[in-house]
Amino acid sequence: MSWLAANLAPLMFGGLALFLFTGVPVAFALMACGMSFAVLGIASGALPPQLIGALPLRVFGIVSSELLLAIPFFTFMGMVLQRSGMAEDLLETIGQVFGPVRGGLALAVVFVGALLGATTGVVAASVISMGLISLPVMLRHGYNPRIASGVIAASGTLALVVPPSLVLIVVADQLGTSVGDMYAGALMPAALVVGLYAALVGLLALCKPQWMPALPPSSRTFREANGHSGYRSLLVLSMIGTAAGWALLRVYPQFLRWLGREFAPPADEVLMVGLAGGILSAFLLALLDAALRLHCLSALARKVAFVLIPPLILIFLVLGTIFLGVATPTEGGALGSLGAVVLAAGRRRLTPRQAAQALLDTTKLSTLVMFVLIGSTVFSLVFQGADGSVWVERLFADLPGGATGFLVVVTLLVFVLGFFLDFFEIAFILLPLLAPIARKLGIDLVWFGVLVGVNLQTSFMTPPFGFSLFFLRGVAPQQDHADPRTGRTIRRIATSDIYIGVLPFVAVQVLVMALIIAFPPLVQRADVGLTMDAPAVERALRGMAPPAPAIPPIDPIQMLLDSLRKPAR
Amino acid sequence: MQFLNSMSRAIDTFNRWIGRATVWLILASILVSAGNALTRKAFRLSSNFWLEAQWHLYGAAFLCAAGYVLLVDEHVRIDAIAHRFSPRLRAWLDLAVMLLFVVPLCALMVWLGGIYFWHAFQTGETSFHAGGPIRWPVDFCIPLGFGLLGLQCISESVKRAQFLLGRRDRPSLAEADLPEFFGDAPAAKGGS
Repeated sequence: MSWLAANLAPLMFGGLALFLFTGVPVAFALMACGMSFAVLGIASGALPPQLIGALPLRVFGIVSSELLLAIPFFTFMGMVLQRSGMAEDLLETIGQVFGPVRGGLALAVVFVGALLGATTGVVAASVISMGLISLPVMLRHGYNPRIASGVIAASGTLALVVPPSLVLIVVADQLGTSVGDMYAGALMPAALVVGLYAALVGLLALCKPQWMPALPPSSRTFREANGHSGYRSLLVLSMIGTAAGWALLRVYPQFLRWLGREFAPPADEVLMVGLAGGILSAFLLALLDAALRLHCLSALARKVAFVLIPPLILIFLVLGTIFLGVATPTEGGALGSLGAVVLAAGRRRLTPRQAAQALLDTTKLSTLVMFVLIGSTVFSLVFQGADGSVWVERLFADLPGGATGFLVVVTLLVFVLGFFLDFFEIAFILLPLLAPIARKLGIDLVWFGVLVGVNLQTSFMTPPFGFSLFFLRGVAPQQDHADPRTGRTIRRIATSDIYIGVLPFVAVQVLVMALIIAFPPLVQRADVGLTMDAPAVERALRGMAPPAPAIPPIDPIQMLLDSLRKPAR
Repeated sequence: MQFLNSMSRAIDTFNRWIGRATVWLILASILVSAGNALTRKAFRLSSNFWLEAQWHLYGAAFLCAAGYVLLVDEHVRIDAIAHRFSPRLRAWLDLAVMLLFVVPLCALMVWLGGIYFWHAFQTGETSFHAGGPIRWPVDFCIPLGFGLLGLQCISESVKRAQFLLGRRDRPSLAEADLPEFFGDAPAAKGGS
C-alpha cells in the first residue's frame, strides 16, 4: 500500500495513457482516470477524502473564465465563414489572380491557407476545403500530384500559428500569459512560415517548371469584353490602397495628438491602422464603382476587392480591436462573429437556416472542448493531490542541460504526442504541467507558447501520423478518373505521394523552429506604448505606496490542498 | 427491457430538446459580449451585470449541452489504436467506462454542486463585483449539466447493451438518424 501511495503520480500517468487509447471519449477517459485514482488514493490513505470536495469549485473556475468564452465566439465566426462559402470564393479568386504565373495555384493555396487558418482556426476544415476545391484544379492543369498535395497538407496547418487564431488564445490561457502578447509574439514566426512556404513554392517553380505549370489563358474565367485580362486595373486599385494606407500611417500619430492622447502610438498599432485603412479604402473604391455602375474596374479587380477584402477586414477587426485595447480578446471574437454574419448576409450567402446550423455546430464543438477541459481538471486535481507536479518537476530536474535539455525533451514530447492527440488535449493536459517548470527555468512563456504552436504544426503534417495528411487522404482522389471538364484521365493520388510531397514543408518547419530557438527576438514582445525609465518609476511608486509586505502570491488551490493535507497526516 | 428501452428514448428526446435550447444561449452570449464592447467604446457604459451575464450564458449552454453531445456521439475520441478494435469491444469499453466511472462522477457532481447551489440560493449570493448578477442560476447549471450528462450515459449504456445483445444494428445514434433540428425540410446532414 505504501508503494502505491509513493508512486501514485507515475501510475496515474500510465493509467491515463491506457484510458485514452481505449478510444472512449477523451473527457470520459480523463474523468475515469481521475476518479479511479482518487478512490485508490483515498483508500490507501495517500489522498485526503476532502480533496473531492474541491471539484465543484474547480468546475466553477472553468465556467467563470472569461478567456475561454472566446472558444464559442471564434468557432462561430469560422463556422459562418465556412458555410457562407468563403473558402471556395477565396481559392477561386486568388487562383485566378496568381494562376497565370508558374506555381501560382500553389501560391494561392499558401495564402488562402493562412487566411482560413487565421479566421476559422480549424486544421481539418482548411485541409478539407482546399483538398476538395484546389486539388482537382491543380491536377487538371498538370501539377505534380506530390507538390499539389504537399502544399495543401502543409498550408492547412497554418491555423495553429497565424493570429488571431483561437489556438493562440487557448495556449495563452493555459500558460497564463496575455493573449495580446501571444498574438504579437506569433506575428513574426507566422509571417516567416508563410513567407518560407511561398519561397519554397517559388523555388520549385523556378527549378522544376514542369511540376507546376501556369494556367493557360483559356482557363481564365474573369476577362474583359475587349479581351484584356484586367490586371492593370487590379494593379491601380492596389496602388491606390497602398498609397492611402501609407498616408494614414503618416498622419495617424498627429491625429492622435490632436485627439489629446499624450503618448506616441506604438509601432505595431500604427502599422495595423495603416494596413486596415489601405485595405478599407480599396474596398470602398470598389464599392463606389459597383454602386454607381462606373465600370472603371475590371472584372478581376472587382472580384478580388469583394472576395479577398472582407475576410481581411474581419481579421483586422478582431486583431485591431484587441491590439488597440478597444476590446478584450473575447469581445474581439464576439465582434468578429457579428462581422462574419453581416458580411455573409450582405453577400446573400447565409440563410437563417444555415446560421442556425452554424450555431448548432458551435455549441457542439465548444461543449466537447469544455468537457475535455473539465475532464482534465478532474484528472489534475487528483494528480496534484498526489504531488504529481513535484514528480514531473523531478523528472525534468534530472535532465542534463537545464533549460536547453528541458526544451529538447519538451519539443520531442509535443511532436510525438501531436501524432495521437489533437491540439486541445495537448493544451489542456500537457501545458499546465510544463508551464511552472518553464517559468522556473526562466523561459519566456510567450516564446514557449509560440514554439509549441509551430512544433504542433510540424507534428500535424509529418508522415505517417500527421492529422493533416489523414484529412487530405480522405478527400484526395483514390482512383484514376476522367476529369469531368477536359475528359483526360487524372491519376489517383497515392498515400506515398502525399507523404513525399509534404516533406519539403516539414523541412521548412524544422528550419523555422531552429530559427525561433536560435533567435528568440523573432518572437516579439508587444511594446506597451509607454516607455519609461524603470528606476524612476520604481522610485515614484515607492514614494506613493506603503512598503510591500513580503507575502508570496496566493494560490488558492495550493492553500486548499495544504489545509486538507495537514489533518490527514 | 421494454422499460429500459422507453426510458432511453425518453432521455434522448429530453436531452435533444435541451440541446436545441442551448443553441440560443450561445447566440445570446455572442450578442451580449459584442454589445459590451460596443457600448463601452461608444457610450462609455460598462456594467458588471452584463460583463458577467456573458459567461453565465455560455456556462449554462455548454454544461447543459454535454448530454446532447454525447447523444449524437460527438465527444472527441482518440482513435489511433481503438480503430482496430471490433465494434463489440468498443461498445464494451464505452459501457464499462460510462457505468463504472462517469455515472458515479456525475452523481457526485450533482450532490456536491447541489450543496453549493443550495447555499447560494438560500443566501441570495451575488457576485462580489458591484452590480453583478445573482449567482445561483449559474451554480444550478453545474448539478443540472452533470445530471443531464449522467442520464445520457445511462441511455447510451442501454443502447450499448442492446447492441451487445444483438438487438440493435448500431451502438449509438448520430445527428443524421434524428429528425431535423431546425425547420422541417429534409435534412442536409448536420454537424460536420
